[in-house]
Amino acid sequence: MAAAAAEFMELALEQAKFALDNLEVPVGCVIVEDGKVISSGSNKTNATRNATRHAEMEAIDILLREWQGMGLDQPQVAEKFARCDLYVTCEPCIMCAMALSILGIREVYFGCANDKFGGCGSIMSLHQSSSAELSGEEIPGPKGYKCTGGIMAEEAVALFRNFYEQGNPNAPKPHRPVRIAPQ
Amino acid sequence: MAWELTEVPGNPTPSLRGSTVEVIAAKIEPKLANSLIRQLSQACPLENLRHVKRVRRCCEYGEKSELSIILCLATGPEHCSEMFPQDVKKIVGTYELNTFIAKVARFPATSKEEWEEQCKLWPTSYHPPHDLDGVSGFKECELPSIFNCMRTALRLSEVGNAAVVVDPSTMQIIAKATDQTLQHDSLKSNKCAELNSDSPFSSLEVTEKKGSRLFLSNSNVSKCNSLNMEASCLNPWGWMKPRPSEQKSLPCEGGFPWHPLRHAAIVAIENAAERDKVMFPSIISSTKPNSDGNMEYYSVNESAKRLKVDRNDDKKIAHEAICDDLSETRPYLCTGFDIYLVWEPCSMCAMALVHQRFKRIFYAFPNPITGALGSVYRLHGEKSLNHRYSVFRVKVPESYSNSSGDCSDKC
Repeated sequence: MAAAAAEFMELALEQAKFALDNLEVPVGCVIVEDGKVISSGSNKTNATRNATRHAEMEAIDILLREWQGMGLDQPQVAEKFARCDLYVTCEPCIMCAMALSILGIREVYFGCANDKFGGCGSIMSLHQSSSAELSGEEIPGPKGYKCTGGIMAEEAVALFRNFYEQGNPNAPKPHRPVRIAPQ
Repeated sequence: MAWELTEVPGNPTPSLRGSTVEVIAAKIEPKLANSLIRQLSQACPLENLRHVKRVRRCCEYGEKSELSIILCLATGPEHCSEMFPQDVKKIVGTYELNTFIAKVARFPATSKEEWEEQCKLWPTSYHPPHDLDGVSGFKECELPSIFNCMRTALRLSEVGNAAVVVDPSTMQIIAKATDQTLQHDSLKSNKCAELNSDSPFSSLEVTEKKGSRLFLSNSNVSKCNSLNMEASCLNPWGWMKPRPSEQKSLPCEGGFPWHPLRHAAIVAIENAAERDKVMFPSIISSTKPNSDGNMEYYSVNESAKRLKVDRNDDKKIAHEAICDDLSETRPYLCTGFDIYLVWEPCSMCAMALVHQRFKRIFYAFPNPITGALGSVYRLHGEKSLNHRYSVFRVKVPESYSNSSGDCSDKC
């Protein structure tokens, strides 16, 4: 199991490197069903100018397009997600952690923790959502998922370090440069 | 009831217990007050207690008011005048002051209620958020336009949530969106379920919607405090439910006939990002308009004219000038923008709004099931986040929701 996890995390790291090469924050992921990678994604927040386009969102959209193309309806898609595991280089943020709960993903494996806005244990624990509040059968309740962190975390952190050394080209300039009048 | 705006604080009102500090104070003659304030602020400035007023006035008996002044922090056990700073000790000696221990609030008040509580101990000063800077709060003169933007969102909201992104510096609408979690045809009925009933859908109220948009937003605000379970942020897991009479693939915006994660706020962010890409194309990378050619949300104004000029090859010089100009004025994500939501967002949407760097969030109805900005969580009070926004609730008057469809013209 651990060997398989490392293998999938390698693939996620490749996606993260792809992001880095494209001047994106280096996070990557793969989605696995029945031991096979069925989707992958890398962070595209700079290219899209949409800060919600995290690796997870990219990989999820690929699957939704594919499954809808096959004519699957909502309950069938929900069944599919319930058989999928996600391998991502960095702990899902609060947004993605909630998204994964909404989709009802089975399990999540991540590399380094995200101590600024991690949603799977660091800042919030959205993977532990309980369905206590709305247990009526008619309204589907919150979905928790199993979450394991620390898989090849050093490699994931090294990519971040690379990125911040080269600088985020899209970050706003902190101040306008001070103009010095020519002598 | 009129339209009303209240801030949703990032931290729940903290109880005063445990957040007080003991100080050494003394009753003083009113005529000494000025001189003592001056001497003490030099001898013992209260650096970390700037919100606490140095002097308290009590008028307990009749008209005679009594003044007390804070000398210094109470650092040791009682009766330890040795613990006074030397200069303070001198003042106590000179004026023959009888000292006593008092409690004051440790932190500045974050709400009027909290401030009133604090003042029962010892007076403090309080700066309401909109008086502070007007940057993250709001100004009184903004209220009419804030309410107007919320009306736009309410009109847009057919069944589920709706989002309107506004640049408050120009009052220009940047993007609009509604929930796109469900297929369009299954959205035609408005389902309104009361949470209190035994079985959530036993009192299901299904109403055919026939062109009366306002009617639907009426039921959002209906008196029975019922919840619109079709709003994706209120029922994020509802997409899994089998839906009868489903038609096959009618691709809509974004190329998905339905999408469990396309809540109104997420779609609005996407629309704002697309607009950004079209209006401020980067010089290095070739940016093409989105595949749908969906331009409906771009407002026609000066910026759109710029776009035209932008595409005109003959005016190359103008183009370059504009590019220079744009590189200066191009917004970073949604920095400085406001978003109006009919329903309080879930944690996915609330975090998406952090990522996209919104300045202020306005919502009309709290979301007691998954609300992340006050109801269940207070994401905006989370200190570790790399961006902070202010959150406000716009209370919609019942008269607005109960009035007939004509109201939309009036607004």
